[in-house]
Amino acid sequence: MRCIDLKGLLDLYVDGDLPEEVRAGIDRHLLRCADCAFEVRSLEQTRAHLREAYGQAESSPAFREKMAARLERTFEDVIRTEPAQAANQRELPFPL
Amino acid sequence: LPASGTDAYEARLVERFRQGDAHALSALFEMHVDRVYGYARHILGNREDAEEVSSEAFLRAFRRAVDYRGEAPFRHWLFGIARNLCRDRLRQPRLLTVPPDEAVGEIGEADQPERRALHADVRAAMASLPEDQQDVLILCDVEEWGAREVAALLGRSLEATKSLLYRARRALRAELTERWKET
Repeated sequence: MRCIDLKGLLDLYVDGDLPEEVRAGIDRHLLRCADCAFEVRSLEQTRAHLREAYGQAESSPAFREKMAARLERTFEDVIRTEPAQAANQRELPFPL
Repeated sequence: LPASGTDAYEARLVERFRQGDAHALSALFEMHVDRVYGYARHILGNREDAEEVSSEAFLRAFRRAVDYRGEAPFRHWLFGIARNLCRDRLRQPRLLTVPPDEAVGEIGEADQPERRALHADVRAAMASLPEDQQDVLILCDVEEWGAREVAALLGRSLEATKSLLYRARRALRAELTERWKET
């Protein structure tokens, strides 16, 4: 495997989206190619920094509780403003 | 859930919502709130703005639901509203600037000055990227959504989304390299 063969594969390698035999071929190439090894390592480090800086966000229980109450009122408003149509006659806004 | 499982479950909830079941609305909210909130939190940088935008996105989605004639799944429409609200919020002139929160995770490490500086550098580098590159990095590399789902949400092909992601990773790397070369 040559450097040019890896073009377009390195992100898939970093993402773990390659078949095992392709991955093994890249592993072997990285052992003897400092440029490609640096490319992979720097991509992995960039993503690690990004994940550390942002983390994964979850909404708080207090926010979800407050929103649940607001949505309940919204639901009543939506239903109340459409008295002419029975619920099962309304045109569905989403594909099923 | 895989996309097909999510689609089927969401479709059942939408059907119940259509039939006047308020619990279905709550379930749709619970199903998507963390994704909408997570995206908004990362793009806007603080909890207060993220909660306001998330609230507004859900309220608009449900209020306008009866008029919506789109062909995309509910969550794609909802996310589109949230995304537009985030971008509008970022363009608004602010009288008071809410400081960005520390990273949501890694709380212990974030207390260390050097980690805080690193986080600030990464956020500044991200802010310098085009909006679509920020979106794809947040969704794919931070929130770890599947590329296929992100492609659908952004209205792009899978190939175009992956290409955007790969360019965005290199752009962020170049920005960070430049910043850290100066210090």
